[in-house]
Amino acid sequence: MNRLTGLFFGVFLLFGLSWLALAAYPYIAFAGLQQSKDEATGALAPLGNPGTADQGARVYAANGCFYCHSQYVRDKHEGSDIERKWGKRRTVARDYMFDREVFLGTSRLGADLTNAGDRQTDSQWFCRVLYNPRAMTPESVMPAYRWLFRTQEIQGQPSADAVKLEGTDAPPPGHEVVPTAEGRALVDYLLSRKKTYPLPEAPEPTE
Amino acid sequence: MKQPLISKPVTRSGSAMERSDLSSIDRSIRIPVLIFLASGVFWLMVASGFWLLASSQIHTPTAWWTFPGVAWLSFGRAYPVFLNCFVYGWATCAGIGVGIWLLARLGRVPLRNPLFPILAAATWNTGIAVGVLSVLFGATTGKQMLEFPSYAAFILFLAFVIVGLWALTIFWARRPGPTYVSQWYILGAFLWFSWMYSTANILLNFTSAPGPAQPAINWWYIGSLIDLWLTPIALGTAYYLIPKLVCRPIYSYKLALFGFWSLALLGGWTGMTHLIGGPFPAWMITASIVARVLMILPVLAVAANFHLTMKGKLEDLGWNPVLRFIVIGAMAYTAYGLEGSLISTRTIAQITQFTFVTFGHAQLGLFGFFSMILFGAYYYIVPRLLERQWLSPGFIKSHFWFSVVGIGLLLFALTIGGLIQGFGLQDPQISMGAVSDLIGPFLLIQNVAVLLLVLANIGFAIAFALILLISAPVRRRSAVIESSADAPKKIAPEVTVA
Repeated sequence: MNRLTGLFFGVFLLFGLSWLALAAYPYIAFAGLQQSKDEATGALAPLGNPGTADQGARVYAANGCFYCHSQYVRDKHEGSDIERKWGKRRTVARDYMFDREVFLGTSRLGADLTNAGDRQTDSQWFCRVLYNPRAMTPESVMPAYRWLFRTQEIQGQPSADAVKLEGTDAPPPGHEVVPTAEGRALVDYLLSRKKTYPLPEAPEPTE
Repeated sequence: MKQPLISKPVTRSGSAMERSDLSSIDRSIRIPVLIFLASGVFWLMVASGFWLLASSQIHTPTAWWTFPGVAWLSFGRAYPVFLNCFVYGWATCAGIGVGIWLLARLGRVPLRNPLFPILAAATWNTGIAVGVLSVLFGATTGKQMLEFPSYAAFILFLAFVIVGLWALTIFWARRPGPTYVSQWYILGAFLWFSWMYSTANILLNFTSAPGPAQPAINWWYIGSLIDLWLTPIALGTAYYLIPKLVCRPIYSYKLALFGFWSLALLGGWTGMTHLIGGPFPAWMITASIVARVLMILPVLAVAANFHLTMKGKLEDLGWNPVLRFIVIGAMAYTAYGLEGSLISTRTIAQITQFTFVTFGHAQLGLFGFFSMILFGAYYYIVPRLLERQWLSPGFIKSHFWFSVVGIGLLLFALTIGGLIQGFGLQDPQISMGAVSDLIGPFLLIQNVAVLLLVLANIGFAIAFALILLISAPVRRRSAVIESSADAPKKIAPEVTVA
């Protein structure tokens, strides 16, 4: 074997190590994750996502939410995530087993969304933030996602999911602002963000 | 093993015959290499536009230039378009062009079939255009640095297969003799990129990886992309150009070898340091941190080698713009490597993770290190390919200074702003809104810095367009070197001709 063959082998072999450990291994190992079963109650955790949440994940991706929002909680000794009340415990691989798309994110210009659906349970709240983030948090630098809504004339009764908007955001009289199908899916996705069930491998930290 | 594995580059191409040899090689690859180099400049312009858009939206979310209601001009789409254009459009096209030129030069063979690489360039550009439009219309994959949907990724992969085969063919047909470390870096980069890009896309976008595996694969890819695609291309370029420019062989070949193999071993492991505390088995994160800290070794090996090669020749910086770009790029590589090791340790990552510090670090690598070295390579290569000279020393000078000041200011704003953000996030008493308020001024400075960098890029593009379009006869010495009045009277001929 001459030295150039050695070069080619070496180049592939050394890179192959990282590929096996960090790409192939998780691909195979995480496919075998199972739900955890509570000994006492027999309850399974985590549970799958509701129907439109997966479509909402597409909207989440398409609009780049994950460039500013993370979706994982670090353990108590690794950061202030738990003190910030972004979660009661760290998240582990099993938490994501039913998410078809996982957006851990590496920036926290916005709040962590691991448990967004636990902190806020009202779809109105999410609609209003998406329509005008400054109406809810004046200092926010989040873009307004107006294209996830449409303004329409009220036909008879106002729609049930019409967004309650105030001040300059309010639609003209006789009109209402409602989320589009995409907007509704995104809100469903955000509401589904809750990892509040207990898992044996990630106990809540005690003081 | 009969001959030394690597030897000094041909810094003394003394005879006229060898010189005409080199220019016949240059002529044979002129068209395909220039197409890749020009594509790089074109995508750099597109990237610059979206960069300026995204960086000015991030601090003033209500300004008119956020184009409220226009989805495809919003931050969440402009930002990935900027990054993808920058990495796959500018950096990769430039890297392919320069890499192929180096392989042909070092292998001392003229190219026989220019049609395939031209086809590859057309395919590659089509892939990027399709990918960019898809992301703008919301058809992203949602995987960072792999945003282009599978059909665009497939086009890109096809193009890269042709490029890779092209590179291998050139390498195989090289004239017998020892190989040089630049050839290793470039060849390694081509092999690694085809592997990482194909497997990452297959695992993530063609098959559906289990949810928790997606971020691991994604960040394995991003780490490899930086450390085993962009880095070896730029290092291979610097290892060729620095000895050429200072007319000295590289200081230590052993050190060069050590740098290459330690990078090959560690480069694939570094990405997951962005996910410290993430939902993975502890060994995955720990191994990544260890690898990232050990990256000090290849970084210092390269830094020491470059420094000792150039020792006593630093006054050349005063008149040689190519060397200026390369030296700043090499220094940025050292800084980038050391900062990377530092911010990957658990203690510091607690503060810096999730903040603008990591953005600044990425820009130091992408712009300060990679782009600066490739800019230098453009200024060296293009006149030789076209047998013309740069028309406009003013553009080159302003390109350099706007780049240096811009990247310095950007690094300052993102690092200091990021640290404030990090300490703010660390304290649960400080609300997220208050953190936004604290870093507001730094996001403004960041915007100014990006504006400077965009102006620098425009200067570069104009200089490139001028040399492409206007034929100015070559003088005995290249215009780059003559541009400055301080140029020493006697310049070794190999610097200008070879």
